Amino acid sequence: MTPDPSAPAAADDVDSASEVADRIRYLDEVMADIDAEVRRRRASGDLPAGLERELDELFLEFSPVGLQGRARLRETLSLVDGSAYVDIAVPTASNKAVGSYVKRGIRKSLGWYMDFVVTQIVKFAWSVSRMFHVVVDHIEELEATVEAHRSPDLPAAVVPVAHTGATWWAPAAIEALAGVRDRVVVGDCGDGSLVEALGAADIDAYGVDPSDLILEAALDRGVDVRAESVLDHLDVVSGEALGGIVLTGSVQWLRPNERERLLELVSSRVMVDGVLVLHSASPESWAAAASPVVRDLAPGHPLHPETWAHLLRSRGFSVTATVQGGDDRRLAHVSAAATDAATLNAAIDAATLNAAIDAINERLLGPTEYLVVATRER
Amino acid sequence: MTAVHQFVPALLPRDATGDHTRALRDAFRSAGWESDIYVEAAHDELQDEAIYFEEYPALARPGDVLLYQLGTSSPVAEFLLGRDEPLVLDYHNVTPESFYEGWEEHTVAKVALAREQVAALAPKAVLGIADSAFNARELDDLGCPATTVVPILVDLEDEDGVDERERTRLATDHGEATVLLFVGRLSPNKAHERLIEALFVYRRLYDPAARLHLVGPTVTPTYAEAVFAFAEELGLTDAVRHGEGLTDGQLAAWYEDADVFVCLSEHEGFCIPLLESMRAGTPIVAFDAGAVGETLADAGILLPSARPALVAAAVARIRGDAALASWLTEAGRRRLADFAVETTTRRFVEVLAEVAGAERVVA
Repeated sequence: MTPDPSAPAAADDVDSASEVADRIRYLDEVMADIDAEVRRRRASGDLPAGLERELDELFLEFSPVGLQGRARLRETLSLVDGSAYVDIAVPTASNKAVGSYVKRGIRKSLGWYMDFVVTQIVKFAWSVSRMFHVVVDHIEELEATVEAHRSPDLPAAVVPVAHTGATWWAPAAIEALAGVRDRVVVGDCGDGSLVEALGAADIDAYGVDPSDLILEAALDRGVDVRAESVLDHLDVVSGEALGGIVLTGSVQWLRPNERERLLELVSSRVMVDGVLVLHSASPESWAAAASPVVRDLAPGHPLHPETWAHLLRSRGFSVTATVQGGDDRRLAHVSAAATDAATLNAAIDAATLNAAIDAINERLLGPTEYLVVATRER
Repeated sequence: MTAVHQFVPALLPRDATGDHTRALRDAFRSAGWESDIYVEAAHDELQDEAIYFEEYPALARPGDVLLYQLGTSSPVAEFLLGRDEPLVLDYHNVTPESFYEGWEEHTVAKVALAREQVAALAPKAVLGIADSAFNARELDDLGCPATTVVPILVDLEDEDGVDERERTRLATDHGEATVLLFVGRLSPNKAHERLIEALFVYRRLYDPAARLHLVGPTVTPTYAEAVFAFAEELGLTDAVRHGEGLTDGQLAAWYEDADVFVCLSEHEGFCIPLLESMRAGTPIVAFDAGAVGETLADAGILLPSARPALVAAAVARIRGDAALASWLTEAGRRRLADFAVETTTRRFVEVLAEVAGAERVVA
């Protein structure tokens, strides 16, 4: 019963169907040319890295939606204050000669009445405005309290947030992102190595990293990188605007509420069929490397790949691959020959020992990092 | 006798929903059916064609089918929820409230109410007619028992011709410069700021004299102010023209004057300006959002994102390739035939006849 106006020509018209296929092929070729032109302009420097971001940010300056958090609250409050005053002196100008006299007469004769009503309206409006001020003050106090109880900053050396140079997982990330339909953002892009590697593979990528310092090298090389956290960046990206997202670095240390926010943003900013690549240290390697102080005070800690897979599935992603990597610190099995009385207690045989080694490997050792690749399905 | 009566919040002249409603009424009457239009409000010009919706109970007859033109919030929706006649929804889409958040809080409340009304009406309706498969999916998701796609009636043959004086004025104004055009109300879901960004990049990379022509009413003043302030900040004040309240002939002139029609809307339930552009023979570049890809099909360059560099490159490709421009013009004319008003009208009558017939059998 449902006709589809965009359907190709009638099925029994073979020539028309092939013409439709030709037209679609032609448009695909044109689109490929357009994509190539954008890449060429970017590579030549005609389209400076960050220009599109600067334009987006500039528009936000003119929009009330660009104001976030406290600034937005205060801005809204000032609008309430501004509109809480009602001017009783109505304009009396008129295009007609007698109009102005008539209007002034009405204003004068109704002045006492309007004044009585308007005084009450203004009193009510100011009461409402005052209430909002009290609420905002209270919110700011609460925010300040929360700030005071934040976890102490941890040494960067122990909790690294950005990657540099070549990484074992870059080839897998590039393979997963090949063919995505739109731009790819690399969170915590560090020195921009991965952004460059993606670009070299014809993937239109850019990076974000909260550290100005670490971005300097990337900026010097003309890599399209921006100084902001991945959460802040995704917050202002339009819905379904990204073909892919690479998450690494700080995503491993997010507080639970920040992780929820990240998942919410990722699932709305990446387009359907878009690809998410998530790199993380394994919880075991982190626990082994971090000091007791860091382990106790860290706001968050790395998750197991199974946990990320579970969280991503609940947000409409299908997990297509989980790859283990990094250093493999697993202990090797002992051979039966080694289990003689000279080496080991005679009560322990090789099988028992190897079972214990497997348990230790599983709980404490194993690959230090992993990669989860997921595709957004809905 | 079959009777299909329409309900619409507002009956306005020179308005897509108003024209659609009146054309349907005429089609139903031509089919030998009784058909009246019940409204919450009607423009002065159309008072004789409309009946206030609360008068319907006194005029109701057994076997009536009610067709609601649904695109905004209205007390008419609450009224129809309380009626027992078989209800058919003609759904033109409601822009999600998220687009208005931060811009106009009262509009957020209004569209939120409209979406609540759609959600309440969808399961009650015997059929949902949608302008596009995109709109039909929304009705399906809301529990509408059956849906079908029939495009909005747009009589593209009904043109008074191009206002030649307007066309000459426009051509003199911009000379040889590239002209990008978008037609649509100034509202956040239309993403005018993206058009400004695309113009900025296009001027920087391809044509420093390029212009952007925007046509449409200012329905969200805070958004419009931000868009034009943004253009000013980028030094584009003289490069951006805004046309409002144009006659049909003037609008046709703006379409024909443009080199490329560019639509970067983030939400469209159908997008009639695409058809108008096809009629004018203006090549189309559009961002694939909402029902845009479905309406456009292969009659334009459909972009996977609205990034200004990509949009600028697409416009430049058309400007630099006359064969492609002609190909797109021809593709647009071919696509337009799929929306021929005779075909669409016939389809509406068939669909409503099926509903009315089935209801008679049940009765």
